[in-house]
Amino acid sequence: MRNFLIWAVVAVALIILPNLVSFSQQEVLVFLTINILVVASYRLLTLTGEWSLGHVVIMGVGAYASALVTKELGLWVPLGILVGGASAAFIAFLLSYPLFRMKGFYFLIGSFAAGEIIRLLWKRFRDPFGGAKGIKGIDPMPDFSIGIYQFDFFEPVSYFYFSAVVVALCLWILWRIEKSPVGLTFHAVHWQDKLAQASGVNLRSYRTLAFVIASGFAGIAGALLAHYIGTINPNSFDVEVMVFVLTWAIVGGTGTFYGPILGCIVLTILNEIVLRELGLEQTRPLIYGLILILSILFMPNGLESIVQKFTRRKEAK
Amino acid sequence: MFELLAQTGLNAAYAASYISLVAVGLVLIFGVMGVINFAHGELFMAGSYVVVALYADRMVPFFVAVVAGLIFVGILGLIMERALFRPLRDNPLGGLVASIGFLLILQALAVLGFGVRMEYVPPLTQDVIVFADKISIPVARLYVIIAAVVMLSALWYFLKRTRFGWALRASAQDPEAAALQGISVTQTAMIAMFIGAGFAGLAGALTAPLVSVNPHMGHTIIVTAFIVIIVGGVGSLEGAVVASVVYAFVHTFVTTFYDGVLADITGLSLMLIVLIVKPTGLFGSADRA
Amino acid sequence: MTSLLEVQNLTMRFGGLTAVDGLNFKVEKGHIHGLIGPNGAGKTTTFNMISGFYTPSDGKVLLNGEEISGLPMHHVANRGIVRTFQHSTLFGELSVLDNALVGTHMTFRPNIFAAILGLDGAARRNALDRARSSLEFFGLGGLEDELAGDLSHGHQRALGMAVAYASRPDLILLDEPFTGMNPEETRQMMGLMRRLCAEGTTILLVEHDMQAIMGLCDNITCMSFGKFLAEGGPSEIRNHPDVIEAYLGGARHVA
Repeated sequence: MRNFLIWAVVAVALIILPNLVSFSQQEVLVFLTINILVVASYRLLTLTGEWSLGHVVIMGVGAYASALVTKELGLWVPLGILVGGASAAFIAFLLSYPLFRMKGFYFLIGSFAAGEIIRLLWKRFRDPFGGAKGIKGIDPMPDFSIGIYQFDFFEPVSYFYFSAVVVALCLWILWRIEKSPVGLTFHAVHWQDKLAQASGVNLRSYRTLAFVIASGFAGIAGALLAHYIGTINPNSFDVEVMVFVLTWAIVGGTGTFYGPILGCIVLTILNEIVLRELGLEQTRPLIYGLILILSILFMPNGLESIVQKFTRRKEAK
Repeated sequence: MFELLAQTGLNAAYAASYISLVAVGLVLIFGVMGVINFAHGELFMAGSYVVVALYADRMVPFFVAVVAGLIFVGILGLIMERALFRPLRDNPLGGLVASIGFLLILQALAVLGFGVRMEYVPPLTQDVIVFADKISIPVARLYVIIAAVVMLSALWYFLKRTRFGWALRASAQDPEAAALQGISVTQTAMIAMFIGAGFAGLAGALTAPLVSVNPHMGHTIIVTAFIVIIVGGVGSLEGAVVASVVYAFVHTFVTTFYDGVLADITGLSLMLIVLIVKPTGLFGSADRA
Repeated sequence: MTSLLEVQNLTMRFGGLTAVDGLNFKVEKGHIHGLIGPNGAGKTTTFNMISGFYTPSDGKVLLNGEEISGLPMHHVANRGIVRTFQHSTLFGELSVLDNALVGTHMTFRPNIFAAILGLDGAARRNALDRARSSLEFFGLGGLEDELAGDLSHGHQRALGMAVAYASRPDLILLDEPFTGMNPEETRQMMGLMRRLCAEGTTILLVEHDMQAIMGLCDNITCMSFGKFLAEGGPSEIRNHPDVIEAYLGGARHVA
């Protein structure tokens, strides 16, 4: 009952929130919502101990797939978003064959190479990917009404509500997976793969499973993004974006479910409110670089370690 | 047809020269410190900007600017060693992440200092040596080839024939045993970082008049360097040089006869295949990953 | 009557070195079987071949007459052979209970769709019961919520066995279970093994602590320099001239 009340309050707060901020901040809210899904899905991948540099490109696979099936085949946009997620998961499944012959640093570099190859393929094949200019005029979500509220997707508030519902559902699924025996097995594969294997765990299958699920949700995030901004190109998913995702995850800490989400929210607020207000947007990479270095040097467990310190102290009292 | 082949071969030799300089530095840093330096492409960029600042903007003689580039970027390397890699010595992933942070900082500083535009660096010389009436070598490219050969030979001599080089190789092979032999891990790390970064700066400085200098040029360089060190075997200096030559030829020929994007795809696929089939690289044996 | 486990002509070569050379022995169901030998005799290599960690260069491993050599470790585990590792290898960052739950993986295979929809409640409860009973069996009942890495050495060893036992295997392979234990801990551990055996689990252990193995094993295979040396009950092995010879100074302990 208490949990239900907390979630009800959160939901009401999220419904009110966009009405309190400016138009450009409403847009930021939409991006933040989508980015939360990207970074939360990235964490699922890191559960098995592998760090990928291809996650953002996989997100792009979802974006391209959804943009193409809605634009070329006229598929209904919400279905297109699901197709985006499925395509990203499928590509990840194919990539898992070469990539999971590698581990650690080699996996990192291999995922980077695979991602770059995909990006170059988008660039090279103008048909259907639109080459370096990408795809323009991607179908927006069709407007609809649920009686009490009229969704008008030219308004960021409407898209925020829509994406928040989708992302909340995805986060709930990710959470269920992590707290299930499957999630426990992911942890086991990470911490002591030999013992896990001796307990009958097929390491390759579980690494692949984590990679495919994480990629599927990244694909949904990419599709959500594509139908909001309406235009995507290979540079929308380049390594710079990947570095931001990595920064959110590391600054937040990957030890808990909420860590990366916290990192994403805190850095977005810093970025949009502090930097934009101070007119320092040009220095964004500089600040991100400094934050990345400082947090790896002085806060290796991320922001979540601060939260944990706080909550532990409260319990002790 | 023969002329085209020979011309392309010469272009490839030029590419191989500066790629080797970059890759050898990356391998040296990895060998001694066990860290993959993602900022290596930006160190190359920093070398180019030293030439922009001194030679293009302030009329300092080109070769002085190049030496300044080597030293300046070498010092950047020392800063990275002291500030990032030394505190993170027991955390290779941390070192890698920190180098990504450093990459962002260097890129942002280049944007703040010079803007996002492409810099014009006046060519050193327009002279062209013509062979057999058809094959032309721009002298500026020839300088890069010569400099690379000289510097790589010097590095080879340093590593194989001097006491410092011996210490460096010893601590690359087994840091603990090297420490027991009285070799200072910190000192070898600093030497490796200065040389490794300095070589990247040198390559950037040398090629500044020949490429488009901009704050984001490091990306192509680092991707190329990764391909080369993976194909050559992470940790093998000779492998890195051989792989640079192989890669430069494949890439230059595919670019000339097909197109640049396809050449990039070919290079990356080559690396993926090596990773899948023989992760220690075609020429590699020792690895610390 | 086929034996539970049989190795035939088992051979492992690393480059030019032959670590195990044409080894033959059988493990009977319900026995505690010891594999002993001086350091470097190839015991652990043999062990790694049986558990699927290495693929033998030559020869066979048969489980109930079926060949299992060369299968990956998780397939071997699924056939009913579960191993422990030297040096208390555990999931140190997970709780004691979670460690045991990983051990139930084979019996209660996680299903991701059921997990998302909450349809696997019964399986999760059964897995939990199984994990708890395994911990109880090894005297770890009160330590469920501790991190495995924080346990004492003896408890870590017991937990390693509890993880293996949680899948109720036919055969448990124990890799030097007594290393680093004091006499009291050794005695307790021997008690646990006898109980495990009484429950119907066959045990194959690798050890060089002769004292413990003599009082415990039904049957002992001794190897030296990768080759079969002798086999028999504890008293036979104790008095076997070749074994005494192989152990040299070790003979004093045996006597």
